Amino acid sequence: MTISLDAVYAVSDDVVAREIEGEIIIVPLVAGIGDLEDELFTLNETGRAIWDKLDGRRSLNEIIKELSAEYQAPPGELEADVLGLVSELARRRMLVAV
Amino acid sequence: MPGGVLSLSGLALQEFLRAVLAKGASFRFKARGLSMLPFIQDGDVLTVAPSPARRPRPGDVAAFCHPETRKLVVHRVLARRNGGYLLRGDNAPESDGLISFQDVLGRVTRVERDGREVRLALGLERRLIAFLSRHNLLQPLIFRASRMLRPLKRRCPV
Repeated sequence: MTISLDAVYAVSDDVVAREIEGEIIIVPLVAGIGDLEDELFTLNETGRAIWDKLDGRRSLNEIIKELSAEYQAPPGELEADVLGLVSELARRRMLVAV
Repeated sequence: MPGGVLSLSGLALQEFLRAVLAKGASFRFKARGLSMLPFIQDGDVLTVAPSPARRPRPGDVAAFCHPETRKLVVHRVLARRNGGYLLRGDNAPESDGLISFQDVLGRVTRVERDGREVRLALGLERRLIAFLSRHNLLQPLIFRASRMLRPLKRRCPV
């Protein structure tokens, strides 16, 4: 799946996400079922920082710039992380392009 | 994807169930405990459908939030009364008392064991099971049946 850095993504309506004991827990609703047995995910610290910015308003480029400033990390490294996570979440239909 | 597969329990599980049901979706999770033996066993995977789609009726197995412990419980509906349901585990010594409609989260629509669907106790026979349970006849019957089954198992080792 090709992801453009100019694209804007938001969390799909077919996802339930909750913060529990400091961790973000995500359950996609597939075919009308939230599968807490086999399809329950969490994100590491980097993934969580990216997830929090996928609000349907900021492009991926803007997200990378913000994260680069916040974490003082090279944009090139962050770009790979952002594209990797967004690609995986979009493949699982947990994100939708706005 | 960063992270991995988890398992939830207790209040976290309940919060997720409410959130999933609020979207009109069903949820699938692993049952823990022995109170619904022999029809639902520890480790069976249950699918629960939201109640508004079809309110639980006597004989149905329902997921509810226990009013005292606030824990998620899956037991059988014995009767509908003013203000709520009378529920009881098939293997429980007594009923859970009257559970208000808003504490009942959904109805079990599927039971899986070792990857296969178990149909017993969710079909038409569920009404008979509820009747027997309500009149304290279910557990003696199961006890007698299990005593009869044991010698057969010994005779036919698989």
